[in-house]
Amino acid sequence: MGNLTVIMTDVEGKVHRIGNLDEGRNLMETAKANGVAGIYGDCGGGCACATCHVYVDEQWWAKVGEPDDIEGAMLDMVADVQRPNSRLGCQIRMRPELDGLSVTVAPSSAA
Amino acid sequence: MTTGTAAKPALTAEEARLLHEASLRDYDIQAHPHDYYRAMRKGDRVHFDERLGSWLVSRHEDILSVQADPITFSVNMGYHTQQARGMREEFQAILERDGGGYFPDAIMSDPPYHTRIRKLMENAFTAHRVKELEPRIREEVVDLLEKVADRGAADAVTEIAVPLTIRVIVEQLGLDHGMEAQISRWSQAVVAQISSMQSRETMLENAKLICDLQNYLIGKMKEREKAPREDMISDIVHARIAMDDGTTETLTFAEAVSLVRALMIAGNDTTATAIGNLFLLLATRPEVAATLDACVEDDRRLTRFVEELLRVEPPVRALSRMTSREAVLGGTTIPAHAHMLLVYGSANDQDEVFPDPRKFDMDRHNLGRHVSFGGGVHRCVGLSLARMEVKVMAREIARRMADIKLAIAPGDIRYVPTVATRTIEHLPITFTRRQG
Ligand code: HEM
Ligand code: FES
Repeated sequence: MGNLTVIMTDVEGKVHRIGNLDEGRNLMETAKANGVAGIYGDCGGGCACATCHVYVDEQWWAKVGEPDDIEGAMLDMVADVQRPNSRLGCQIRMRPELDGLSVTVAPSSAA
Repeated sequence: MTTGTAAKPALTAEEARLLHEASLRDYDIQAHPHDYYRAMRKGDRVHFDERLGSWLVSRHEDILSVQADPITFSVNMGYHTQQARGMREEFQAILERDGGGYFPDAIMSDPPYHTRIRKLMENAFTAHRVKELEPRIREEVVDLLEKVADRGAADAVTEIAVPLTIRVIVEQLGLDHGMEAQISRWSQAVVAQISSMQSRETMLENAKLICDLQNYLIGKMKEREKAPREDMISDIVHARIAMDDGTTETLTFAEAVSLVRALMIAGNDTTATAIGNLFLLLATRPEVAATLDACVEDDRRLTRFVEELLRVEPPVRALSRMTSREAVLGGTTIPAHAHMLLVYGSANDQDEVFPDPRKFDMDRHNLGRHVSFGGGVHRCVGLSLARMEVKVMAREIARRMADIKLAIAPGDIRYVPTVATRTIEHLPITFTRRQG
């Protein structure tokens, strides 16, 4: 068991503080394993469905970093809820610099 | 009208007639379904199609509800009751005797079993892995297009779309080149098992073909078991995932056979259909051809173009579920053990979700809402590969071909008679070769 922590605010506004995470664990898996509402992860972390969309809290953005082109194209599919600090949870892997990372789950694209 | 629910919008006389008389079993409805879809969405959102014996789920929000509850709405029951209807035992015995075994489709299952199977196959299909395949896919696309480019005429379905998707899956799985025609026949035999249109004779013929297919695949899998290569058969045979409790999961050989067989089939007709639809739009809607020309060298825009193509002409029209208990959906009570079809084609055409739905508008801000790849735990595994094949095709068409026109009257286009997909059988086109 690892020693990293992430804080996720789900789509219902509930704050989940999830600890004991291993390095390499991605945010989508972490959210699903802990019942974080609004994260579905339909494609299993394949960067192909955008159902694991999160907003990274501003103070963490620089450390988390920009999405690559493939992820950017996927985020573009949910442009109505995309923001400058959007990332796909399955593409963010925990590592020591991200200990304490805080993100908010994005709502689904509008019907 | 005092029930407290919102009043249903008034139906036109034609919509009322369609709801009353039409069926997705009718060829004319299968070929030109949009009015029927709209009538259902407006007048009877979860509609019992009597001649089909199935409940048709027509609205986007109801399809999402079904996808969110894969236990109540079972793929396992929906799929396996369709297989070799009425002749299942005989079919099974033939495969056990001559085909190396009867291997139920492991992916056509429900959670929690399905969750384990999905995890073991997903690694092969991530968008990042598929990106690495782009150069090889491009070579195949260019080869096929160059064969017809100077001729100025082709059947876009049988000479371009179908051969491409078979070549790609043969290469990705690691099967033998030269086997494409055989693989296409085998695929049709597997698909026929669930079409519920088989006589006993065709069942026997198809069972024989499926035996040959399984023996061929088993041979390849045994080879890869000993000597893995860079291909999907090796990925599946050697798949393993670490579980949270420290144990490792693998696939049984029987599961692996069923998955290789499923991958061989699932991506062929669907992706070929998408490419056929691309040619149809380019040939019949000048604004779509102009839109493609304008975005062809911009990867991000081209990705959007492909997604809107898949929304506006979804290859998979409708897929099966079965209720494992009585359930209420969109205000309608569906009994237990009822067969249902999720009409993806209708949900993509719903104007409350996609305003002016027949318009090709790649700037829709909610493009990712379309359900052409399904959604929830059964969302298409091969979606990145499918998108890549269609994208590369669109790009190479635009670079080489101009003035694409239908070589037959639009009314003469024939579709494969099935509820599951909306697939053009032949698409003769003419075009000019682009210079430079
Ligand atoms: C444009 C092309 C394609 C379309 C439109 C498409 C569409 C779909 C849809 C709608 C589903 C959901 C099934 C359901 O709701 O029950 C699905 C599932 C599936 N697709 Fe695709 N597909 C395409 C290409 C591919 C490719 C290229 C592959 C693999 C090589 C593939 C493999 C699968 C598999 C294995 C499933 C079952 C997933 C599960 O139940 O967990 N598909 N596809
Ligand atoms: S899980 Fe599908 S994009 Fe992240």
